[in-house]
Amino acid sequence: MIRLSVHVFRFDPATDTSGRIVPYTVEVNGGARVLHVLHAIHDSIDQTLSYRYCCGSGQCGSCAVRVNGEPVLACMEEARDGMVIEPLKLAVKRDLVVDLMQNLDAIAFLAPRAELVFPAKDEIDAIKPLRSCIECLCCVSVCPAMDVTNFLGPAAMRQEMRLALDPRDSRDRITDSVKDGLFTCTSCQACWKVCPKDIEIPGKAIEKLRAFANKKGLTLPRHQEVAALVKETGRSVTRIEPTFLEQVGEVLEPYGTGAPKATMGFFVGCMYNMRLPKTALDAMEVLRRNGIHIIIPKEQVCCGSPLIRTGQLDILDALKRKNIETFRSRGLNTVMTMCAGCGSTLKNDYKNPPFTIMDINEVLTKYGIEPPAHLPIRATYHDPCHLLRGQGIREQPRQLIRQVVDLVEMPAICCGSGGGVKSGMPDEAAALGKRRGEEIQKTGADIVISSCPFCEFHIAGHTDKPVKNVASVLLEGYKEKDKKSVKN
Amino acid sequence: MAFSLVLCHLFMIVYTPQSNKMRADSDGMECHVLVIGSGGAGVRAAIEASAYGDVVLVSKTIVSKGGCTPMAEGGYNAVLREEDSCEIHFEDTMKGGAFLNDPELVKILVSESPQRMDDLILWGAVFDVTDDNKVAQRPFGGQRFPRTCYAGDRTGHEMMTTLVERLDGLPVDILTETTVIDLLKEGDRVVGAFALDDKGDSIVIKADSTILATGGGTRVFDISTNSASGTGDGYAIGYRAGAELIDMEMVQFHPTGAVFPYDARGRLVTEAVRSEGGILKNTLGERFMKQYDPERMELSTRDVVARAIATEINKGRGTKNGGVFLDVTHLPREQIEAKLPVMLEQFLKFGVDIRTEPMEVAPTAHHIMGGLRITPRGETTLPGLFACGEVAGGVHGANRLGGNALAETQVFGKRAGESAGRSEKRVRNVDLRQIEGQQERLSRFLNGSVNPATVARELQLAMWEGAGIFRNANDLRSTLAMVMHLPASDLKAVSARNLSECCTIQNMCLTASLICKSALLRPESRGAHVRTDICHAWDAQTSPFAHTYISHARQGIERRSHT
Repeated sequence: MIRLSVHVFRFDPATDTSGRIVPYTVEVNGGARVLHVLHAIHDSIDQTLSYRYCCGSGQCGSCAVRVNGEPVLACMEEARDGMVIEPLKLAVKRDLVVDLMQNLDAIAFLAPRAELVFPAKDEIDAIKPLRSCIECLCCVSVCPAMDVTNFLGPAAMRQEMRLALDPRDSRDRITDSVKDGLFTCTSCQACWKVCPKDIEIPGKAIEKLRAFANKKGLTLPRHQEVAALVKETGRSVTRIEPTFLEQVGEVLEPYGTGAPKATMGFFVGCMYNMRLPKTALDAMEVLRRNGIHIIIPKEQVCCGSPLIRTGQLDILDALKRKNIETFRSRGLNTVMTMCAGCGSTLKNDYKNPPFTIMDINEVLTKYGIEPPAHLPIRATYHDPCHLLRGQGIREQPRQLIRQVVDLVEMPAICCGSGGGVKSGMPDEAAALGKRRGEEIQKTGADIVISSCPFCEFHIAGHTDKPVKNVASVLLEGYKEKDKKSVKN
Repeated sequence: MAFSLVLCHLFMIVYTPQSNKMRADSDGMECHVLVIGSGGAGVRAAIEASAYGDVVLVSKTIVSKGGCTPMAEGGYNAVLREEDSCEIHFEDTMKGGAFLNDPELVKILVSESPQRMDDLILWGAVFDVTDDNKVAQRPFGGQRFPRTCYAGDRTGHEMMTTLVERLDGLPVDILTETTVIDLLKEGDRVVGAFALDDKGDSIVIKADSTILATGGGTRVFDISTNSASGTGDGYAIGYRAGAELIDMEMVQFHPTGAVFPYDARGRLVTEAVRSEGGILKNTLGERFMKQYDPERMELSTRDVVARAIATEINKGRGTKNGGVFLDVTHLPREQIEAKLPVMLEQFLKFGVDIRTEPMEVAPTAHHIMGGLRITPRGETTLPGLFACGEVAGGVHGANRLGGNALAETQVFGKRAGESAGRSEKRVRNVDLRQIEGQQERLSRFLNGSVNPATVARELQLAMWEGAGIFRNANDLRSTLAMVMHLPASDLKAVSARNLSECCTIQNMCLTASLICKSALLRPESRGAHVRTDICHAWDAQTSPFAHTYISHARQGIERRSHT
């Protein structure tokens, strides 16, 4: 037996105005799950503890709770000493029991055709990845769009896609899904990352439904404009000032006399190229100072992310071919991105590119950086969705940031700029941005650091704190260091 | 509509922890057909019954999440190919069931299972298909043709999802997280049920016909595959109401349950693992099934494989966690990933990659073959009461074939729903004394003194020790005595919300006693029921015995003549 001390959320609607966290110490067998800890509390300490469970083997979706803030199935998650067990972020009925019915009722059901059309194997194979949903609603509990707008949610969208793929269904699921908020999803991937069944709802349902919607002419006008611009110029934004690519040569040598630590291509992306070129230039300085030899082919174009996220796929393959050929022809083994969205797209949506893709945070931590001066600044870090969840990069930017400023954490929640929401659903984007601004305020930080042009651009509109890129802050640290060494 | 009224009402009730009360809306709750249970059989019954009148479906959990159907992994048996036949499926089922099955029920099962499969397909079920677009089938134990249809290893979940989607489109009122604690009667006739909602408030539901579809009850054993709802409620509720049950001694121990982590022991490791080519080995590395059934090896019937594994473990050839090895590492990774995704995911969570390491498994209580005696129309021995699914007896005899339970839920769910739907509409009267009786039962719990969890624990350990895979009269008698002495009427409900838990544990105790009594009634080893204290010359086919039966009125064992 092992002894575990845990904290459990308790709330009785009859007597409490708000919940409280109560400590318990229980004995369970080695390997026990969170559910067994709850059983132990219920059976031997307090029988009034309410929690929902049924199958005990991860197949019914009854027992989802948050452990240390993360939604999990209590029956599958290993119990840990010190863990905090709370209900999902849904309406709490009592203790760990939340109201599931409203969201379960929102999930559409098949409307059979009069005559059976037996689905073919390829149709079955397409539906199957969407079918293992156990409706635990972990996804719903983390969806930022549902908090601020009328969105039926990831579980319901998954089902609409599943029905759209089924020849036995008689309804127009595409039009339904648009009405149900298809274009409100920010592609933040939070739903997928908490899904116990690993269902890739943004990529396999939302974006696919948006592609179907595109074929029916239901793409939002603002998204159509972006697609038209990409088609015409190869870029998703217009030129308003000299671009990054116009300001740099094709080859940037590292400073100093030592051999370069690495050579890599740089994929700048539309936003850093045309809206935030100064940030990209800062990044080049940091890379050169740290021994990176950079090749910047000028004919690179938009990665296609704005088109994929909004379901406009006509010219996507042409963009991909162009970018791959551009870097392949330089014989580069590694291509670096600094835009989280481009990086995620190149890594996840380009099938087997002939080079490795690395985010700048990965590059700088892999090859190591010269220590910058530590600035007397408190900073908070905003995790870009496409970096944290799209590329699994969490620690690297923090490792860099801590070398130059003091870091205070805040919850990793979407800022509202992704998935075409900033252009297509500006009110929703503003509502999410406002929430981000409030979180930033709570941290008491002097500045906000991020590593994505969309996030940086969007958050800047919703906080009075300066919003800076990781590379720009590092460069400030180097400048400070140089200033001090001149004085000395 | 009625459902939303119920919800509105919930908000008006002031919660008082030390009492339970009658819900004000309960007086008006009436329907043509009341379905108790929301697994595969209950939902199928509700779908069918809804064609004939108002239906209320009561679920102890949330519909689609409760019961054992969503946990069923391996498959659904149906004769779909020309090379197969219903006659062979019938013979396989009878032989697998040690010829204790009711032949008429088996005939219905095998002949209607394909049609019920068609219903599921029509309603949107996503079963695996072959390259030529036919429903794919895999071989399961004890069957001469690969007739087990499947959706990976989440077949029951696929069915449940399909059924609930179908139900969503129909005018059925659903009471979720509501526990039926007993049936209500008028004379001999069942006229509805008495239930508790999730606050512990009482509801009386009157119905022309009532269908019990409460599933099984192997939670009465320490090691079980069943979900939390497999507590034998239907057997106990039916028995208390006066219905007759048959073959309650017939408990299937699934050969392969997980042994680690300890608190999750018993978790089902699907037969599909062996069906896909998994092999069993003891710690000496021997493929021991060749000693027990050299012909069928790992795909022998479940009773045989379970006894083989238990014997290996008893003889000291088991692992330190108390299991034997079940190995699929010789299979292609892609096959494991595509055909056994749930197994792969579950074991990975518990630290074992089944693509590279063997699983450890041991027998686990899985299915109760016995249950309420039913006619082919799903009628029990009580007028007004129907039963379908695991709570009913007779279909599987002394041992169930893998894949026949999911088929049973659909075939007999539909039949019970239809029969109940077609039954006459009646004036609904409930003798108020029954309700007073229930209120007294509940107030005893509020004033009780024993922690229900302690009683459940003692019960489960005693049943596993004394009424498990290998049985004898002495152990059965002492287990029965122990069960009967458990303080099931002195359970303590610390709040009204805990009342249903007390009722459930009473049901577990009663179900366990029915298993022990029935096991003592059968003086032979047959199928899953092994009496180590009795030797007999006959085999299953020549046995002089048929069903055991047990009710308030009588108990015994039927004899049959071999002419």
